[in-house]
Amino acid sequence: MKQISNLVKLQLKNLYGINVIRHTTDKKVKKRKLALAVVYAVLAVMICFYMGAAAYGYIALGLAEMVPAYLVMISSLLILFFGIFKAGNVIFQRESYDILCSLPVSQTAIVISRFVRMYVENLLLVCGIMLPGILVYGVMIRPGISFYLIGFIVTVFVPLIPITIATFLGALITAIASRMKHKNLVSVVLSLLLFGGIMLGTSQMKMIEDDFSVEMLQSLSDVVLTLIKSIYPPAIWMGNAMLEGNFVTCLLCVVGGVLVFLVAMAIISMNFHGICRGLYSTSAKHDYQMESLKKESVLSALYKREFKRYFSSSIYVTNTIIGPIMAVIFAAAVLGVGVDQIQQGLGIPLNIKGVIPFLLAGIFSIMTTTCTSISMEGKEWWIVKSLPVKTKDLLDSKILLNLSLFLPFYLVAEVLLTIALKPDLIELLWQLVVPVIMILFSCIFGITVNLKMPVFDWENEVVIVKQSASAMIGGLGGLVIILICMVPVLVAQEAYAGLLKAVICVAVVCVTGLLYKKNNAVNLQEL
Amino acid sequence: MLTIKNLSKHYKGSNKGVTDINLTIEAGDIYAFIGHNGAGKTTTLKCVVGIHGFDEGEILINGVSIKEDPLLCKQQFAYIPDNPDLYEYLTGIQYLNFIADIFEVPVADRERRIEKYADAFGITASLGDLISSYSHGMKQKLAIISAFVHEPKLLILDEPFVGLDPKATVVLKNMMRELCEAGGAIFFSTHVLDVAEKLCNKVAIIKDGVLIRAGKMDEVVKQGESLESIFMEVACDEAN
Repeated sequence: MKQISNLVKLQLKNLYGINVIRHTTDKKVKKRKLALAVVYAVLAVMICFYMGAAAYGYIALGLAEMVPAYLVMISSLLILFFGIFKAGNVIFQRESYDILCSLPVSQTAIVISRFVRMYVENLLLVCGIMLPGILVYGVMIRPGISFYLIGFIVTVFVPLIPITIATFLGALITAIASRMKHKNLVSVVLSLLLFGGIMLGTSQMKMIEDDFSVEMLQSLSDVVLTLIKSIYPPAIWMGNAMLEGNFVTCLLCVVGGVLVFLVAMAIISMNFHGICRGLYSTSAKHDYQMESLKKESVLSALYKREFKRYFSSSIYVTNTIIGPIMAVIFAAAVLGVGVDQIQQGLGIPLNIKGVIPFLLAGIFSIMTTTCTSISMEGKEWWIVKSLPVKTKDLLDSKILLNLSLFLPFYLVAEVLLTIALKPDLIELLWQLVVPVIMILFSCIFGITVNLKMPVFDWENEVVIVKQSASAMIGGLGGLVIILICMVPVLVAQEAYAGLLKAVICVAVVCVTGLLYKKNNAVNLQEL
Repeated sequence: MLTIKNLSKHYKGSNKGVTDINLTIEAGDIYAFIGHNGAGKTTTLKCVVGIHGFDEGEILINGVSIKEDPLLCKQQFAYIPDNPDLYEYLTGIQYLNFIADIFEVPVADRERRIEKYADAFGITASLGDLISSYSHGMKQKLAIISAFVHEPKLLILDEPFVGLDPKATVVLKNMMRELCEAGGAIFFSTHVLDVAEKLCNKVAIIKDGVLIRAGKMDEVVKQGESLESIFMEVACDEAN
């Protein structure tokens, strides 16, 4: 127990870089960390506001009894979704592994301490989701004190089951990958398959919703609760415990969660060293003989290096390949459903067909590789800084990687959309050009953000790919800007759509050009 | 070859850094840079190679300012840091070829040099393996080969002997001598005072960011003295 508490303290000491903020004497580092804290704070406020508003909406619609279960389900799904991709990296992180192995600490203590770190991170997210909902419910419904008491207990224990599932699945993927020759590739493929499974599950949910009949709508609350129960039954149990003030059900949920956690931890602990050894071991053939080498241009050499760097990190790949895959799925969905049906289903005179290229570009840009590619240089940043490399060549290699990664997905998506929309020549032109311009913009915008907020002193890629300010601002910022560009086209009359697209494209090209020029003028020495 | 004029660099919010450093390294020099931990050796070297910016002063490489034309300066030198963090996702040969591409080394030259130095260090057979599988010493050897692959005029090394086995240490010393005999120059930091005294013709001692001795080895270390005794006298007087 003492071992666990010591390791947990160590894990939590620098959560969100708190220890660095406290002790660093470098004002630049402090500023960056504080900027990240501001980003987190803004996100937290947005989540709180959204969840409070959602709870208010449900109560106003007379669906108050589903609010607690809804809050639990949203919290759990978000934890599960984000957890699967990073759980393996956190639990089996290489940093400090050698030192910990040489110390008299058990592998169970190491696994639990790393799990607790994930738990604390997710508990903050759960608080942001649950507490505003509970508050709104409390103000509007005025339940008894037991609602708040059980609400508090549920909030504390909600993360346990989804984190355990995410950790277990993440560990499973990592364990399988650790036995393979191409560990990263296997890890990426398995993660994407899992993601595909979740997407499929979600689409099944939608199918149930689509089947709503008038009779069912009359008892919407029952339908939604049944739906939640089919996805995640503990959400219903915990929600009911809160509504009914049922401490026994609450206790059963807590005990069940703890048991699931203990079993998962025991299994992972038993295999911890084996998985770590499989992951960290590197094969060295030691049989190289000098052979003729090939000369490349500086840009080509940088591009090849960037390419190898990208595919060396499974978390970098899984996090950035989701956008292109979703874009292809989106195009396939347009082909499957048909744009006319979407238009009819909405029942609003919006120019859906006109904005599909924007939507496609937006989905592509959910997370570009460029918005973290400078930070991903990490401890090896000194190499580029000390070499005679132009800023332009370095940044071009990063942009080229992003574009070449998107290209095959773009081509497939465009073919699918062309079949689906049957555009005339002008429409086809916009369909091809708008995504290209918007994707180029988001790539260069990503570089701009990462140049402003680079972080090189990281220990785990997860910190950069998933939690850094530039990943959030650079990744989502591009998407938001594209969606803003889309709005005028969406609401405009079809006759003016072409003109609007032309104006928007010219404006975006100008901004992209300016950002590109500004980025290339950055002195790498100052980063 | 390398002129450092009134160099001052201070880290924001910290007392650390270097103040008013003046040094001249000429062709043929093997210049040792010594000082206790945190004295400012690495900071100075990083300013010279353009990794760190600096507050005041000037750094000229063959008369060209590193601030005004960093690319031209960087084409003339090679740098090896104290901790060789190399691209672990590349194989040794891929890394060397990458560096050769950046310096636009002709194919025949890069092949000849890589073969020569990799054989000398005994790591040719490992060049096809990922750098992530290398030991610290092997990474150091690879970093040294990458520095020599483009035949720089100036070599900036931070603790180059750390992690090297005895044979590799001898090989590196010979390589350093060869480069200087061919008209190159070397500026390197070290804690191995014995090696510095025997290998170098010039030495600079830095303490708390200030240069306290600099010049020819035989002028700094008078007859009957050793570099170690001088260092203990001038750099560690507070400790004593």
